[in-house]
Amino acid sequence: MPLSKSELERYHRQLLVDSWDQERLKSARVLVVGTGGLGGISTTYLAAAGVGHLRICDSDTAELSNLNRQILFTTEDIGKPKAALSAKRLSAQNPEIKIEALSDKLTETNAGELASGCDLIIDGLDSHSDRLKLNKASFALNIPFIYGAINEWQGQLSFFNPPRTACLACLMPEELQNPKPTPVFGALPGVIGSLQATLALRYLMTGRAPLSNALLIFHADTMAFETVTFKRRPGCGVCGKTL
Amino acid sequence: MKVFLKAGGQLRQMIKPDVDHYTRKVEIDGEKTVAEILKDISLDPAYVALVYADGKMIDMSYKPSEGQTITLQPPVSGG
Repeated sequence: MPLSKSELERYHRQLLVDSWDQERLKSARVLVVGTGGLGGISTTYLAAAGVGHLRICDSDTAELSNLNRQILFTTEDIGKPKAALSAKRLSAQNPEIKIEALSDKLTETNAGELASGCDLIIDGLDSHSDRLKLNKASFALNIPFIYGAINEWQGQLSFFNPPRTACLACLMPEELQNPKPTPVFGALPGVIGSLQATLALRYLMTGRAPLSNALLIFHADTMAFETVTFKRRPGCGVCGKTL
Repeated sequence: MKVFLKAGGQLRQMIKPDVDHYTRKVEIDGEKTVAEILKDISLDPAYVALVYADGKMIDMSYKPSEGQTITLQPPVSGG
């Protein structure tokens, strides 16, 4: 997919990056579910980088309490649907790419439809049960899934592509108790969302993904990164039968 | 035998750290699983999403060795 003159100028600085493959990015299609603290950041960098087709899905409306961390929205946006707001902001940032905005609520039934035809799924969700729905769709459709999550001073990131790797349900099979609301400050989803975008770009351009079978944990209070390895779980209710 | 439990996020306060801001020392009699150790300190395992030691994920049936640090991760959210 050749680049236009304006695209060559827009992406000039990243075209200088070793191994950069802008044409592969241009032909890529990515689903991002959730456009809040995590998804707002990952979509911003994927759009800026020129990922050709972004399908963004969020059923929520913007709220005042979102604005400490969700940078796609302003005070004037309160009450408006996040998916449409996000698409407008991202299109203004990069009109060269296609953006589909969907306000559907993620369900077991529609997760596969949302992901269908995409090269990659990126998690910008705020609930583990919804992540497990995306994980099932990822496995069923053989579409890699980039997981990101945060809590207080800690962030997590991983890449799942079963059966080549473990899946999210191998690692965390069920909904767990989590005191609500989750404490979060804006810079932390900023870090994790940026790492999700970085991992996505790397995967889309090379087909390779660091963090397969590994969980990156960022401790924001000590500025430490830690990597913990794991394996596929034979009893996994999602991908275990393929072992 | 002593084992160190380390936790972050909202789980940190639940383990009642006494070594440093994140870590609690637990004295146990003989070998015990992580699940048994959590029961001894009255920590509901439902609050624990992940357990790891020495850079590898483990499960609640793991039996720590003398002086080993077991890290507990709470469920995380996002958005």
